Amino acid sequence: MESVISLQKVSKEYHLDERTTVPAVHNLNLNIGKGDFVIVIGRSGSGKTTLLNLAAGLIRPTGGHVLIDGTDLWSLNDSSLSLLRNEKIGFTFQFPSLMPSLTSLENVVLPTMFGVGRAKNEAYDNAAKLLKTMGLGDRMNAYPRQLSAGQQKRVVIARALINRPQILLSDEPTSDLDERTEEEMMGLLKEIHDTGVTVLMVTHSLELVAHASRAYEMEAGLLREITNPADVCAAARNRRMV
Amino acid sequence: MNLLGLAQRNVRGNRFRSAVVFLCVLGLAGFFLSTTLIIRGAETSLRRGLDRLGADLLVVPSGAEAVVESALLMGQPTSVWMPGELVDRIKSLPGIAAVSPQLYLTSGDVLVVGFDPASDFTIQPWLRQESKSLGKGEVILGAGVNSTTGNFNIAGQSLVIKGRLDGTGGALDMAVFVNLDTAAEMRKVVPSDGTAPTPAGSYSAVLVKVKPGIDISKMALYMVQEIMGISPIQSPQMFAWFRDQMNGLLWGFITILSIIWVLAAVAIGLVFSMVTNERRRQIAVLRALGATRAFIFRSLLAEALILGTAAAIIGIVLAAAGVYLFSGQVSSTIGIPFLFPSLSSLASLLAVSLAMALVTVALAAFVPVFRVSRLEPAIAMRE
Repeated sequence: MESVISLQKVSKEYHLDERTTVPAVHNLNLNIGKGDFVIVIGRSGSGKTTLLNLAAGLIRPTGGHVLIDGTDLWSLNDSSLSLLRNEKIGFTFQFPSLMPSLTSLENVVLPTMFGVGRAKNEAYDNAAKLLKTMGLGDRMNAYPRQLSAGQQKRVVIARALINRPQILLSDEPTSDLDERTEEEMMGLLKEIHDTGVTVLMVTHSLELVAHASRAYEMEAGLLREITNPADVCAAARNRRMV
Repeated sequence: MNLLGLAQRNVRGNRFRSAVVFLCVLGLAGFFLSTTLIIRGAETSLRRGLDRLGADLLVVPSGAEAVVESALLMGQPTSVWMPGELVDRIKSLPGIAAVSPQLYLTSGDVLVVGFDPASDFTIQPWLRQESKSLGKGEVILGAGVNSTTGNFNIAGQSLVIKGRLDGTGGALDMAVFVNLDTAAEMRKVVPSDGTAPTPAGSYSAVLVKVKPGIDISKMALYMVQEIMGISPIQSPQMFAWFRDQMNGLLWGFITILSIIWVLAAVAIGLVFSMVTNERRRQIAVLRALGATRAFIFRSLLAEALILGTAAAIIGIVLAAAGVYLFSGQVSSTIGIPFLFPSLSSLASLLAVSLAMALVTVALAAFVPVFRVSRLEPAIAMRE
């Protein structure tokens, strides 16, 4: 299968000071095909977010290559890399990432500012449609502080989809959500995936691997494929029941 | 939404930052404009005063230079005089083209300038209306002297108003001009400051024009050697005391302005540094959504310039209005005359003040804005 995201022997080390170097990702290989729904689980500090940032070209790897749709991200200049991110990648973050000074609608429209050849009216129409689809038709003019955590996450997803990206990178999309909202959120990601969007999601929640077409576990910067996601999910559920 | 729209929303969203930057720029632009207006106003007034005198030399009694200059510039009461025969002696010196005596008297707040219309070459050229023949009992008013009727009452006399001079911003605007016969009548009543009345036939100063080609400084030296008890002040050195005072004031203003400028720039830089640090995640999110480094840089700088422009305009308007409304108090406080500049001159000063404020904001914000725009997005997210 053709790889949409390809990480080839990618390493990333953080230099805390002249003497101390922390390896976050070590010699990692990952190929994600078009239409895949890949979930990477792991504990805090295992390197999941670094992996996602590497895939989005938000951080330069210490070694190896990151390819999106066959293009080596770090062979591009800043404006080409930014445009590629804008057109091909949707991003949801673990932390609250909506602009506090903008309404829900304006937050969703925001990524259309950075692309080329997009009509303003069309962008607002699309944003409104997306928000309605997310069940936020009546919250378009609300500011982030006026939205619940779940509503904010949905606005973030709408923002990630406004440019109709090929890839959705999602960092802990269900953190800080109650069980019911978590299920709604995963249902939403599944719906997005069903439209043909390739999803790479990182989470610490083992139960969520049931939603993935492929799942990996990350530990100390190393990636290991989970061959039996259903078992991992069931075990996690049992642990929670106990 | 575009870059400016986003910047505007962020300006409104960061109230503390906006308020601090706004106040710094407002103060800076306001102080710069008000001090520049005062200095320029004083310079203009001095220049107009010199033009008004129109003489190469102002001859005054020896030791009375500052007193006469104060009278002419600030309207300070004066009762200096020199004997009338000195005028004839000055007139008889070789190289002299014209001589016109003047007598300065004070009545209340009004400076009375007695002059000889026949020999005068300094006052009548500045008259608004043609009124060359000023007779006894007639008066020409300075630009700032109020009178609603056709007569002007002073020192127990009711004088017929014959004309009005253009404004200088100096004390001459509040002076009235009469011929020497009228002044002779008035000298019996004034001065009101308790000093002895000026003797008949005496003058306070003599305005002198030298013949073309004559060196003014050599003529001044020659006068001092030939005639005892006089002090000729050369036109370029006239109001030297005021110029010195103005220079002192100018340096004082420049020093204060420099301190305020540095403090404002540091404060703006620190506030921007603080705010950009607080907003590192927001900036990283924008980068993740596809914003280029250049966009982030321009957007943050636009925030600075929007704030700077608004604050500078308000500061400039307040400063201009303040100086205009309180020019009298400013002038008397700092002890130099003041003339509000013309509209064209004011417009250029406003433009310079605005540009100065905007350059300051841009320079102060540049380093923190540049630094944060160069951050790797993932690093910026890891707060």
